[in-house]
Amino acid sequence: MPLWFVRGLRRGVVTTRYPDRSEMSARDLPTPPAFRPGALTGEIADGLVAICPSRALTREGGTLIFDVGACTACGRCGEYAPGAVTASGEFELAAARRSGLVKRIGLGAEVTR
Amino acid sequence: MSTTTAGGGPVTTEAEAAAAEQLRSAVARQFGRSLHIRTLDTGSCAACEQEIRMLAAPHYDLHRLGLFFTPAPRHADLLLVTGPMLRAFAAAARKTYEAMPGPKLVVATGACALGGVYQPDAFSYGSADQVLPVDVWIPGCPPSPLALLHGLLVAVGRLADKVSGLSFVAGASS
Amino acid sequence: MTAVRPHTSRRLPSVMAGAGRAGDPVAVTQLAETDLEAVTAELARHPGGRLADLFAADTDPVILRAVWALDLDQRYLIIETPVSGSRYPALSEIAPAAFAEECEIYEQFGIRPAGDKPLNRVATPPQADIELPRLGRAPAEPPADVHAPHVVGGHAFEFPFGPVRQVAVESLYYGLVTSGEELVDLYLFTWHKHRGVEWRAQGQTPQQALFHIERAEGLSAIGNGWAFAAAAEAALHIEPGAAAMSGRAAALELERLYNHAAAIAALCQACGLAVGRAAAEIALERFLRLNAVVFGHRYLFNVLAIGGIRTAPDLAALRAGLPAAYGELRRAADALLATNSFLDRLEATGIVTTEEAGRLGLVGLVARAAGVAADTRADHPSGPYSGLRPAVATQAAGDALARLRVMLAEAAESVRLLETLIGTGALGHGAGQPEESGTPRPGPAGRSGLGWAESPRGESLAWVQLDQSGRISRARLRPAAVRNWRGFDDACRSQNVFTDVPIIEASFWLTVAGTAR
Repeated sequence: MPLWFVRGLRRGVVTTRYPDRSEMSARDLPTPPAFRPGALTGEIADGLVAICPSRALTREGGTLIFDVGACTACGRCGEYAPGAVTASGEFELAAARRSGLVKRIGLGAEVTR
Repeated sequence: MSTTTAGGGPVTTEAEAAAAEQLRSAVARQFGRSLHIRTLDTGSCAACEQEIRMLAAPHYDLHRLGLFFTPAPRHADLLLVTGPMLRAFAAAARKTYEAMPGPKLVVATGACALGGVYQPDAFSYGSADQVLPVDVWIPGCPPSPLALLHGLLVAVGRLADKVSGLSFVAGASS
Repeated sequence: MTAVRPHTSRRLPSVMAGAGRAGDPVAVTQLAETDLEAVTAELARHPGGRLADLFAADTDPVILRAVWALDLDQRYLIIETPVSGSRYPALSEIAPAAFAEECEIYEQFGIRPAGDKPLNRVATPPQADIELPRLGRAPAEPPADVHAPHVVGGHAFEFPFGPVRQVAVESLYYGLVTSGEELVDLYLFTWHKHRGVEWRAQGQTPQQALFHIERAEGLSAIGNGWAFAAAAEAALHIEPGAAAMSGRAAALELERLYNHAAAIAALCQACGLAVGRAAAEIALERFLRLNAVVFGHRYLFNVLAIGGIRTAPDLAALRAGLPAAYGELRRAADALLATNSFLDRLEATGIVTTEEAGRLGLVGLVARAAGVAADTRADHPSGPYSGLRPAVATQAAGDALARLRVMLAEAAESVRLLETLIGTGALGHGAGQPEESGTPRPGPAGRSGLGWAESPRGESLAWVQLDQSGRISRARLRPAAVRNWRGFDDACRSQNVFTDVPIIEASFWLTVAGTAR
């Protein structure tokens, strides 16, 4: 099939160099949130817990517990509290321990309850 | 995180992490740069499967990394599990795992398999590790091919687990 | 060939008299059980009439709802029939398309059609130790385990395949009855993927439920999500703004483009044409990256909201990226259409006749490739589609090659629609104010609405009923896959051999998740 052979040569290589080089298209991927403890009040934390559709967030007193594994990076938390939540930009999220995906974030702002 | 054995299957606990680590280095030694992957859909929405198929596409080409797909569990070294582990599917999942020769790895793939989308209920166990001994967890809904490549390379010990060291606090250095 | 439907006025079925106002896209009417058969027969004879869905809601009494699409009249008609006993008139005797739904209603609500026809297992697994929650009452007897009446005799034998099958495809159980090469019969089990999406939606606000609806069938997140959102909006009397509707249309066309590219890649894989697969996958990856840049997600999750859209498209990125991505697809298609070994493999493979497509109520490209020019974007236009007037691509042959040609024509049309949306400035900023998530809207109990959208696989339908507090009391989601799997067994049986099955499956481009939601 000379047609395909010539076509392939002309097309060139599209393959990513990842993981040896960083991959530009990664910056367009949705990523889990990162939190600003200074802006996280107890009230905001409770609101975030309530709004998360995948139950990735729970609150234990002065700590917001974030399960990166359960997160779908849907962005609802960032819409709810743009001042306290931003995108982490991390896409290399594979963990060799399940517990490595569970993050404890201290509520920095005045904590109620 | 300690988990219960609601599914009746083995689960990875903190105490077994060291053993898993040992297995991983054994796998890296044994398989070198040739590892065969079998996929297992335990109730996914089809998006994870599409992203896994993209691994073999020209843009990602997992073959260049010595990773290959195999349809036969008996030829597979690694089981890539998607979906929330539906109860109706658990028997098939166990059989697939048992059909694989040891040493073998299980990689839970996507938010469903990690417990994010479906909670444990009458339909599903809620996550893959309730039924299968998971070695590596890849978050994402669905995980992009890049995230899958990273996860597979973590599984065979060629890249480090990065996320365990991250704090997910904005502006923090790690 | 393409066809734009003429908007002729025709005599409406008698049941439409007094059902809704003329010009309303949806009419609702109540009907007694005794009249159901006669009206069903009349509607089945009506030109462009097809039974699009059949489902039950409520318990005491159970209310049966038949959704008829009157495609030439640009209307949907919902017929509500309270069923007092445990049996109702067998609609599948008149409209065979209703059979799978009759089985589903039996499993979920315990009522069955009159007669002794065995009802198949659809969603409930046969394992004795697994008892899934139901939408209504359990049936008196468990459903039959045999999916289709199949005969194994002579030299034929049954070859079970699955549910764990090829690599990186969904779980699906095939019962293949074969004499060694020719496919005598085929039946499918999908209950092991049933996740109870409709059951999960109960008690949630529409905005909350959208999360699982989008993930019911990930490759139709927009098609199913739009249908569901439109149903909820109809129930709530919310009208999304024009910019938001144009945004939805842009997302829907992007969904179609990446799905068709993926289907073409799968077709090449099924035919063993690795070079063609690689070329199609380059186009597919370009489309997925375009989705990520324009809407923030490769599979367009998290784009929709009840009352609008959550993510406004990045217009500049769409304008810049679309020609390159489509160019890849076009070049791959040109090369494929010049590769005779590939085309020969598709020709006369998996034939669906026009008669079958009509009888089984098939939708989308499978129906269009069999000569049925049905497309909800043209027949039941909503949002910008009434102005865009999409051309409906059809083919007559009904084989895998016809489906490939329809896909290519539709991809070209999707690009034209996207360019029109960009060019007319319909995709302006200001996506509208979507309903605040999680806030229920109180109102009269029993409010309901029907929604639809033309997903890449065909018509997605959704119906939502709300209680007094604004939470869902019953949600119905009928992805296109539910319909078209019904044509799949017939297509496989029509003079095909074993190795044709993967080709037919790729050319149908269905998902198991969509039917086993």
